[in-house]
Amino acid sequence: MTDTATDPALEVAPGEPILEIRNLSISFFTRTREIPAVMDFSATVRAGEALGLVGESGCGKSTVALGVMQDLGVNGRITGGSIKFRGEELTTMSPARLREIRGRDIAMIYQEPMASLNPALKVDRQLMEVPMIHEGISADEARARALEVVRDVRLPDPERILDAYPHQLSGGQQQRIVIAMALMSKPALLILDEPTTALDVTVEAAVIDLVRELGEKYGTSMLFISHNLGLVLETCDRIAVMYSGEAVERGRIGEVFDEMRHPYTQALFRAIPLPGADKATRPLIAIPGNFPLPDERPPGCNFGPRCDYFQKGRCDAQSIPMIEVPGDAHEARCIRTDEIDWDAPPDISDHRESPEIGEVVLKVDGLQKYYEVSRPGLLGGGEAQVVKANETLSFEAHESETLAIVGESGCGKSTLAKVLMGLETATAGGVELDGRAVGDVPIEKRDTRTVADVQMVFQNPFDTLNPSMTVGRQIIRALEIFGVGAGPRDRKKRMLELLDLVKLPREFATRMPRQLSGGQKQRVGIARAFAGGARIVVADEPVSALDVSVQAAVTDLLMEIQREQKTTLLFISHDLSIVRYLADRVMVMYLGHVVEIGAARDVFAPPYHPYTEALLSAVPVADTHVEKKHIVLEGDVPSAMNPPSGCPFQTRCRWKSRVPGDLCEREVPPMVSFAPGHQVKCHLSPEEFASMEPVITLAEN
Amino acid sequence: MEPLSWTGAWGVWLNPLLGLAVAGLVAASLLSVALSLLSAPVRRQSLPDGTLAARDGLHGMADMAGRAFLWLTALVLALYLLLPFALPYGALGIVGELSRRLLPVWIALGATFGLSIVFKRRLGLYGKLFDSTIGMAGFALVVFWVFTAIFAGLFDMIATHDPLTALSGMKNKVPGTPLAMGDDGVYPHYLLGGDNLARDVFSRMVHGSWIVVQIAPLATIFAFLVGITLGLPAGFYAGRLDTVLSFLANLILAFPVILLFYLLVTPEMVQTGVPAYMAMVLFLFPIAFFAVLLNARLSPRPVLRLVVLAALFILGGWLYLSMVSQDGTPVDFWPDALDLFDVPGGILVVFVSVVFVNAPTVFRIVRGLTMDIKTRDYVAAAQTRGESPWYIMLWEILPNARGPLIVDFCLRIGYTTILLGTLGFFGLGLPPDSPDWGSTINLGRRLLSIYPHAAMVPALALLSLVLGLNLLADGLREESLKD
Repeated sequence: MTDTATDPALEVAPGEPILEIRNLSISFFTRTREIPAVMDFSATVRAGEALGLVGESGCGKSTVALGVMQDLGVNGRITGGSIKFRGEELTTMSPARLREIRGRDIAMIYQEPMASLNPALKVDRQLMEVPMIHEGISADEARARALEVVRDVRLPDPERILDAYPHQLSGGQQQRIVIAMALMSKPALLILDEPTTALDVTVEAAVIDLVRELGEKYGTSMLFISHNLGLVLETCDRIAVMYSGEAVERGRIGEVFDEMRHPYTQALFRAIPLPGADKATRPLIAIPGNFPLPDERPPGCNFGPRCDYFQKGRCDAQSIPMIEVPGDAHEARCIRTDEIDWDAPPDISDHRESPEIGEVVLKVDGLQKYYEVSRPGLLGGGEAQVVKANETLSFEAHESETLAIVGESGCGKSTLAKVLMGLETATAGGVELDGRAVGDVPIEKRDTRTVADVQMVFQNPFDTLNPSMTVGRQIIRALEIFGVGAGPRDRKKRMLELLDLVKLPREFATRMPRQLSGGQKQRVGIARAFAGGARIVVADEPVSALDVSVQAAVTDLLMEIQREQKTTLLFISHDLSIVRYLADRVMVMYLGHVVEIGAARDVFAPPYHPYTEALLSAVPVADTHVEKKHIVLEGDVPSAMNPPSGCPFQTRCRWKSRVPGDLCEREVPPMVSFAPGHQVKCHLSPEEFASMEPVITLAEN
Repeated sequence: MEPLSWTGAWGVWLNPLLGLAVAGLVAASLLSVALSLLSAPVRRQSLPDGTLAARDGLHGMADMAGRAFLWLTALVLALYLLLPFALPYGALGIVGELSRRLLPVWIALGATFGLSIVFKRRLGLYGKLFDSTIGMAGFALVVFWVFTAIFAGLFDMIATHDPLTALSGMKNKVPGTPLAMGDDGVYPHYLLGGDNLARDVFSRMVHGSWIVVQIAPLATIFAFLVGITLGLPAGFYAGRLDTVLSFLANLILAFPVILLFYLLVTPEMVQTGVPAYMAMVLFLFPIAFFAVLLNARLSPRPVLRLVVLAALFILGGWLYLSMVSQDGTPVDFWPDALDLFDVPGGILVVFVSVVFVNAPTVFRIVRGLTMDIKTRDYVAAAQTRGESPWYIMLWEILPNARGPLIVDFCLRIGYTTILLGTLGFFGLGLPPDSPDWGSTINLGRRLLSIYPHAAMVPALALLSLVLGLNLLADGLREESLKD
């Protein structure tokens, strides 16, 4: 880029502030009152620098981004402070000038790629629009630039992509198009609001890789909003941690991660599963209490009521300002930074015993599930297509054991869960529960005992409870259906005991689900699953939709109930950090196949299946001491309707060239055994396996 | 007795005042529209020094003037309604006397609004309605007609004369005409004039509301029960059942509504018993609906289920048989001794046709909502604990589809009201001298150019009720979308 006149990024010398936010306050006004969403927030983004904004949902991080875009809607209003973009004040800018800046100098990337693309327009029109409106260039020129940018975001076959409608692209491709659109006018500032939350881990890793690379190439400054500390560590130079509308700590990323000076930051790091955490010896520490609602914030420090270092009379006496702490522009909103011993190890009082693994409870042998999808026709004509959701799955699960099932969307883990639950019946193969065959028994034909024995905890807490029924009523219904209790009074007593079990106050029995927070709803979901004394609980990503501070508490609860009731937990997840923390055994699935199964420590150490290796590398780790091997998978998961021949993973495998001939494309590999119970489905030779290096290494402290 | 003018002696003062207020309101609104075209409106905005900038000079002035004139208009209108109670008979003309006749309605309306606004935070969606001006206006219109109907139909309070009796010398008289032969104890004026059979237009309008308020909501409820009972399984099971039911619904919807009415309501058709047989089928749905509803909920408690279902079938069955079996139709098998009531033949036919025409639309709405909601996790949770399909449909899906259904219910009562008007207008179903609004409009239509009042009054009544229902639906929709 030599044409500096059209390249705004070069107008500001590196290191100069692009965006300066000073004491910003934003409120939303409802009919009855004012709700402050952001208070006294300051931050600076310098040219070529990436600022990470982390915090839990509702902490105001997205509101800051919308404030920068001056797009707060009818109810939102900036009530104080200033936002300067390259020295120009945004808060008092005229709408005409704002329109000029948005999209050209500041671009934004949202969470849901499909929601940011117009489904009625082809991709090229949407991309060309940006420079044509802002710079008035001709259609041909715009098309040429669109092609260049699409190539930059590393999409295969750019001409074909440009000619496609958004719905014809996969989620990862859509998000790349959104990124391309944001880059069309070479903005000086890019705001990314949880850009990868809707994507799979391996796709996320590729997109993040791309964002980082493009940031360097174009010299774009970034405001990166995320709840994931690991992602922020991988992408940003500086970080601001937000809690309940305020920035509580900010500084260089390494300093905040290693020498945090705010109790909330510290608690956050103790609540997430980092390598080395272990459910028996080094459990996660949940942050007590709940996130305060915007209109119920405590006096003084917002984090006070949940803080271990809270001192009455000081922390709640006056509002706490940002205080400088040693380091490079490192600040924390805590008056006790000097008094707290930050290196003291966390207080782990309750050392828990690992439960004894018992008898085999569930035995799955050669399970196969195909769906027939016929083209809709009045007389059922058209060729039937087969979706091979599960291919010859075989595994066992024992009493008191946690078996993690890991894989990305489309790998068949949900189908497996459905077959176990009886919502679908197996096409071939058998499922045995305590010796009884249940694989081909649909749920209507199962007896009450079997139904109560296999229960499920769902992913989305906002969807798991019926919104029009009280919490108590829903649990009582489960008790009624499972035939627990002698009469209504007895069941009510059981219901209250179940609320105790999941550590919810008994008053919640009469509450409606909308009055509960996400974590509380998930607890009710757990209580409901355990109502009939379940032997096997299938937990489908039970904490992935929850905030970090709540995740630890809900995970702990699940573990605790499991220990007491000797339940077998099938923990479905794509988050390998949490799997490493709690699973006894791990099963990795890809396109309906089990590609690797074994004890957790065996799966997380070499030799790996190539897919496991890529997954491990893709998961962002929020620890500066961890060194990760960088493996990026190209492309997307193939469709289960048309799976590749031979090994399911051969289209994306980086080890494929090490296998002689076209063996990978011809034959499905056999299961190769390593340590007892550790099996890998791969054609690689034992020497190749032996040469594998660990993906994650802990650097010496 | 002197004839009454529209606003009487006091109108000389009030009318110019109202004119002034309305003119001011119109001028201010126009000014504000013109200003917003000329310059972009400035939102309320905070400045860096912490102060708030409101709208700038002219804009703000136009807004304030508009608001002031709006209040003035409302105040004058309130005077029209309230002053008559302090003045002698006729001092505020026809308007004043109408207001005086409607006193019970005003009291009931005031009480309803007062109580609702005081307790609105505890009343859920109904309470939230009182946060929306549009919703309140709609609710006021609807409740006005409901109270008018109840007071006139049940307590015989508001109407001034009998709606069916003609008084000599009152044929086609204009509003405010005194009775030609004034007896003691008889109301001395025809407030809104007489129709071409010398009956009091006001009383007929008031009594007509009772017919509408009785039939429209009930017919709509039946249409909903039919639509829900068929729409839930169609959406839930999808597949072939859905294809068949949707095809039938489309078939009914494709048939011209008015033609269908003519077919159903013509005496020859009634003679063959087709509407009566249809009634037999349609009225089965409510019993089926409640039976399945309670059965699904109570299946884990067999004893209670037996008692409740037995009670439902005995009571519901009795009501059903009484309703279906009519003297003089082919379906007349139920002994008169056990027949609780006879619905007038015409009304039953109207009822059946309204349900028949509305149910397919409700079916389609419910089917769509079911398809959306059945993918939720709580439905999956119910399936994984082995709930029966009908429990899932009626207790997990239906309650969570209630928002759009309530809104549609309000709109649909409006359609039904219009349908009733249409039926009456064509002289279908209801007896020819019935005071319902459709028939009255049809009767008045013939002399519309000379004596418009006989047709205008019921037409305005119909308009205001349907408008009220539409506004109410709008308000409910708006409020249910908020949080």
